[in-house]
Amino acid sequence: MSEHSVVGQKVTRVDAVEKVTGAAQYGADVHPAGMLYGKIVRSKQAHANILSIDTSEAEKLPGVRAIITQDDVPSGRRVFATDKVLYLGEPLAAVAATDPDIAEEAAELIKIEYEVLPVVQDVTEAIKPSAPRFHGDDTKDGPNRREISTQIRKLSRDKENDHSDEISKLEAELENYPDEVYYNISAESHSDAGDVEKGFAESDVVVEDTYIIPRVHQTYMEPHVSVASADSSGKITVWASTQGPFAIRSGIAGTLGIPLTQINVIGTTMGGGFGGRFGVIITHIPAVLLSQKTGRPVRVQMTREEEFTDGRPAPGCVIKLKTGATNDGRILAREALAFWDSGSVSGASIGSTIRVRGVYKIPNLKVDAYGVHTNKSGTAAYRAPGAPQAIFAGESQLDEIAERIGMDPVKFRLINMREEGDPVPAGSNEPKVGYKETLEAVADAAGWWDREADENQGWGVAVGDWTNGCGPGGVYVSVHEDGSARIFHGSMDITGTDTAISQIIAEILTVPYESVTIRRGDTDSAPYSTGSGGSVVTFTMGNTAKLAAEDAHRRILELASERLNTNMDDLELKDGAVHVVSAEQPKSISLGELAAYSLSTTGGPIVGKGSFARQASTPALAAQIAKVEVDPGTGRTRVLKLVASQDVGFAINPMAVEGQIEGGTVQGYAWAMMEEMQYDENGNVNPGFVDYRVPTSADLPTVESVIVEVPAPNGPYGAKGVGEPPITPTLATMANAVKDAIGIRITELPIKPEKVVDALKGNGHSA
Amino acid sequence: MAKLPVSLTINGDEHDLLIEPRKTLLAVLRDTIGLTGTKEGCSTGDCGACTVIVDGKAVTSCMVLGVTASGKEITTIEGLASDGELHPVQQAFIETGGYQCGFCTPGFIMASKALIDENPDRTEEEFRYALGGNICRCTGYTKILEAILQAAEEVRSTS
Ligand code: FES
Ligand code: FES
Repeated sequence: MSEHSVVGQKVTRVDAVEKVTGAAQYGADVHPAGMLYGKIVRSKQAHANILSIDTSEAEKLPGVRAIITQDDVPSGRRVFATDKVLYLGEPLAAVAATDPDIAEEAAELIKIEYEVLPVVQDVTEAIKPSAPRFHGDDTKDGPNRREISTQIRKLSRDKENDHSDEISKLEAELENYPDEVYYNISAESHSDAGDVEKGFAESDVVVEDTYIIPRVHQTYMEPHVSVASADSSGKITVWASTQGPFAIRSGIAGTLGIPLTQINVIGTTMGGGFGGRFGVIITHIPAVLLSQKTGRPVRVQMTREEEFTDGRPAPGCVIKLKTGATNDGRILAREALAFWDSGSVSGASIGSTIRVRGVYKIPNLKVDAYGVHTNKSGTAAYRAPGAPQAIFAGESQLDEIAERIGMDPVKFRLINMREEGDPVPAGSNEPKVGYKETLEAVADAAGWWDREADENQGWGVAVGDWTNGCGPGGVYVSVHEDGSARIFHGSMDITGTDTAISQIIAEILTVPYESVTIRRGDTDSAPYSTGSGGSVVTFTMGNTAKLAAEDAHRRILELASERLNTNMDDLELKDGAVHVVSAEQPKSISLGELAAYSLSTTGGPIVGKGSFARQASTPALAAQIAKVEVDPGTGRTRVLKLVASQDVGFAINPMAVEGQIEGGTVQGYAWAMMEEMQYDENGNVNPGFVDYRVPTSADLPTVESVIVEVPAPNGPYGAKGVGEPPITPTLATMANAVKDAIGIRITELPIKPEKVVDALKGNGHSA
Repeated sequence: MAKLPVSLTINGDEHDLLIEPRKTLLAVLRDTIGLTGTKEGCSTGDCGACTVIVDGKAVTSCMVLGVTASGKEITTIEGLASDGELHPVQQAFIETGGYQCGFCTPGFIMASKALIDENPDRTEEEFRYALGGNICRCTGYTKILEAILQAAEEVRSTS
């Protein structure tokens, strides 16, 4: 884009040198003097009553400085389990000691007596009356019972007429659905547009299937860690590896009943987050409690094993999906019933089930979704939370329909994609989004239209959509006497966002990118900033940075007009200096000179302020094509080609955008083919990288990325959030490619070799 | 626990230390010496974040006891740049965008350096397999491969 000189360019990231020299300070690199090492004591049972906790032996160990349990939480808010544990790894106590090995030893010395209770790990079992129960009033009606009950309620409200006959008939009908009383339900979500029954009746082809998607871990490479220091005045400082320091501050305040102003959270460089680094209880609260008790700084750091047993991974789910379409390729109806495994607490992203809609015109759509309790840790966001699961079901089934009506899968999608102005269920109209452009771009780049496949090879395509969030943020920018600009803000850099903010400021102030520096403040000093998740940062902070730079720009012109004795309208900021437009005698003054001059003015230095909260976001599409080869003997799938395109609105730093597309696509690949947290009655059974395999460079080839730019009206320079979309289609892309290669639809992820071998033997999960 | 005397040469500096036999080389580097550039991603030898170079070979320092490294020459990420000049591998990671969150980066850079020192003529495919002990969760490896190939090229052309 030639109209811009800094945005849109591949620039070196602002944190380049510190990241390649080991200088960047991550959470565990913080080491205040006198620091103690904390260790969380965890349940060794997946479901049990706690009969006793005996800390006496541990207390005697030299080097132990404190042991805390729920009794040490003054606010009474649940931090540690007391009478009952609901999953393996649930925190029961915490230890602080002078050495990490001593802390670990002490944790082992704490004796816990359990009374073991029955365990349920499978959502389809957990909803049955025979399942153990976890929380009080947690039964809900299934879709049919819900509908009947709604009718009964409606009729009973009508006091004018007598409906008793109808009502008793309906009540009798309820009896037809005894299996639709679901137990252990943590949450529900429903939506119903049009008339799905009518839609299915009018369809030429109807396909129905059940899709099973496993629970997977975000597997950020830096395990959770925090260092807390409570001083004698009660002031608490927390160095936290988190996506949202301000959320951690309010979380600590709320959980422990401490005033906000007494807590300062310093966000450390983050070793990946992907949505999983927002929780406050996980390490931050135990660290604060231990520091309060010992009067010394305490670090609490999770091991990789603890990450797997007590992290907050992405929920697995079971989705029953039904789609109807006409022979000429129009989708008429779709119906989903989903059970999301929310673990021991609520919070799974069940609302995302609606994403089975995709970016298609589907006139009749009904979605019923339930969160279900099991004996696992709770869940959290993982890159486009809930979307990969729902889109896997939706896009797998689209291919089945395409096959049955004999239509090319790309064409079938193109026919059904929504266009600008089409109604969308939320009541608004579809904005301009490059749905078709993005799909066509990936098809062209991958060579889809003249694709060839040898024996056991196959091609798969899928698309996934996601819309970035936004949230409040503030940015200051100061211009210094040497003409450089300094940015100050409070949002966590998430793989290149500080760079994007710097590019935007440099662009508007017309200074070289190199002369802009950026500093992140802690929660004591920086203006409020929303958490770095939901692909918000570039959108939110980009807009905020733009406002700050424009504010500075105004002050610059004001100063120049004073200094050059010229009307402001005749001035232009260009190449780091203010010029008088159309002056006979060319006159100009550099930013540095203006900044120096500003110090002696009545108006003061050049400080721009930007503050922003929200604007409507625009959806983004990711489209991907894979070519695979399946070894029918071993069941191994090898990726021969993986091409990913994405409508990013505008790529502020194309190198960073490509990196997001590549990384997100590989995470999606891993979810499709490799990753699965496995549980039995003892809890998680694969808490390490040997049994929970994540991809290495040896597992797949180069991802080819294709950037499509259809600007978002409210994005900075048209940019959209880019982090989340690329993971959304890959699960289905891979499953569709495997189907094309072996002729059998695998509906349960991950597609491990043994599953392929089973499918080929005819006893697999085929459609 | 009783401590044992150990002498290590780390990035050219000699350190005479008393350390507990149960401490890993990773713990010695990070907690005793304060060189926190080397990262801990798993502590079970499976992620490569803790990779350092010991007597010319890349090792996962979480799998080595500090006492067994006595008398050895250790290079960590902090010792790679010389005279303020980044090593070609570091330079290549910057130029190609071979890092995102950066947590795996010290390990990847050290592993890459050892591989290139050993044989800079590997093909892309060979580097892919040779780097299989290091996990990166952010990049999808595309740009890491670009980085190591660029650095290998640079080393080949200057040696
Ligand atoms: S920390 Fe040593 S290999 Fe992971
Ligand atoms: S850059 Fe984040 S793990 Fe590799």
